[in-house]
Amino acid sequence: MSSWEERDIEPLAAEYALGTLDATERAEVAARRQREEDLDSAIKAWEQRLSAMLDAVEPAPPPANFIDRIEDRIAGGAAAPGRAQTPTLRVDDDPRPGAAAAAAVSAGSSADVIRLRRRASAWRGLALAASVALAALVGTLAYKPALLVPQQDSRYVAVFQDDDKAPRFLMSVDLATRQVTIRPVAAEPAPDKAYQLWIVADALGPKPQSLGLLDNVSRPTRKSLAGLSPAVLEGALFGISLEPAGGSPTGQPTGVALHGTLIPTSTGDTTTGE
Amino acid sequence: MSRMTAADVSELLGRVAARDRQAFRDLYDATSAKLFGVILRILKDRQLSEDILQEAYVRVWENAARFDPDRASPITWMATIARNRAIDEVRRRKPAPADDGSALDRLVDPTPSPARQAAAREELGRLEACLDELEGERADMVKLAYLDGLSRDALAKRFGQPVGTIKTWLRRSLQQLQGCMDR
Repeated sequence: MSSWEERDIEPLAAEYALGTLDATERAEVAARRQREEDLDSAIKAWEQRLSAMLDAVEPAPPPANFIDRIEDRIAGGAAAPGRAQTPTLRVDDDPRPGAAAAAAVSAGSSADVIRLRRRASAWRGLALAASVALAALVGTLAYKPALLVPQQDSRYVAVFQDDDKAPRFLMSVDLATRQVTIRPVAAEPAPDKAYQLWIVADALGPKPQSLGLLDNVSRPTRKSLAGLSPAVLEGALFGISLEPAGGSPTGQPTGVALHGTLIPTSTGDTTTGE
Repeated sequence: MSRMTAADVSELLGRVAARDRQAFRDLYDATSAKLFGVILRILKDRQLSEDILQEAYVRVWENAARFDPDRASPITWMATIARNRAIDEVRRRKPAPADDGSALDRLVDPTPSPARQAAAREELGRLEACLDELEGERADMVKLAYLDGLSRDALAKRFGQPVGTIKTWLRRSLQQLQGCMDR
C-alpha cells in the first residue's frame, strides 16, 4: 500500500469506490473492509457519493431470456424453491448422523469419491493474493459463490458438492458458538485416505488453512472454530480435499477438492426442491 | 428502470430476500438494462459483461437481505454490486481495454436520460456542481475512472502525466469532492 497513509482510510475508501486501485490494492481493501467497520462505512459513503454519476450510463438490454441462465445458477445453489433438481437440505439442531444427509441423497447418487471432479487447479490458484484467489476459485465453482447474507440467525450451512450433483458433505456452522458439524452425505470412505477440511479467507492470508481431518466418513465430525471470528467465517470459502492418510503432506490441499461457501439457514424456508 | 419507483424496487428486494423467485424476475426486468449498461461500459466486451451480469444478479439474490434502504437507493446498491465486480474484473485483466478516446467523447456529449427521479437528479446535480469545481480536466478524470473503469495507468496515458501525478490528482479531486458534497 506504499504511498497511502495506512491510518487514513478516507483516500483508500474513495479510490476503492472510484475504482482506481490496482488489483492487489483492491484485494487488500476488500479484505480489510471485512474486519474494519470504519473502512467499510467509508467505502459505502463514497459509493453513495459517487453513484449519481451512474445516471449518465445508458442502459443496455442483456440478451433475451438471460434471466434463465441466472436462475439456473441460483438453482444450483441452495434455497431455490421450486427447482426439483436440487436435493432437500434441512439443517436443524439435530446432529443425528445423516439426518440431513438422508434427505439430501434423494438423488440417489453415491458415486465414489474417486470420481470427484479434479479441482486441483483451482486450489493452486489460491497461491495468489487472497481476494484474487478467492475470485478465481469462485469462478470455477459449478454453483454460485455464496458470500454471507442476513444476521437474524447465526446458523449457516455449506454444501460440498461435485458439479450440480448430490452433495458429498454438508457443513453446518453456528456463528454464535463457532461450532461446526460436517456430515457426510454421499461421500464414501476411501482406503488409506483421509478427508481434510480447509478454509480460505482474506483475513487468513492467501493460502488455504487446514482445519483438520474429518474423523470418520460415516459419522458427523464436530469441530470448534472458536479461534476464528464470525466475520471471517461468514466470508470464507471452505474446501474438503481427499488426502493421504494422516493429512496433506505439504500443508496445502494436494488431492481432489470440493468447495463450499456458507449459506444462511435463516432466510425463511431452508428446504429446496421437492 | 421503466416506471418503477425506488420504493417499488426496495419492496421487490425485500421479497427477493425472502427467496421469492417471481420477485427476483421482476427485479431483473426492472434493473438489468441499467446494470448491464454499467458493466458493459467498463468491460467493453459483451461476453465478459454477460458473465459479470450473471454474477452480479447471483449476488443480489444472495445478499438481498443485506440491502439497507437507509444507506442507499436500491438501484444504487445493485449497480454498485455490478460495478464493483466489473472493476475487479478489469483490474485483474491486463492490459486494460484499448482506450480509443470514445469514452471521452461520451463524457463531452452526455445524452441526458429522459425521466430521472427528482431525488436522483438533485444528487446528480450536486455531484455535477462539485465536479465542475474541480480544476482543469479533473472532472473528466474522475468520470473516466468511475464510468469507464480507467486505471491510473490509463488515465496517465490519457492525460499525458506520470502515474504519480495522476494519483495525486485523484486524491486531491476526491478530497475536494467530499468537502464540496458534504457542505
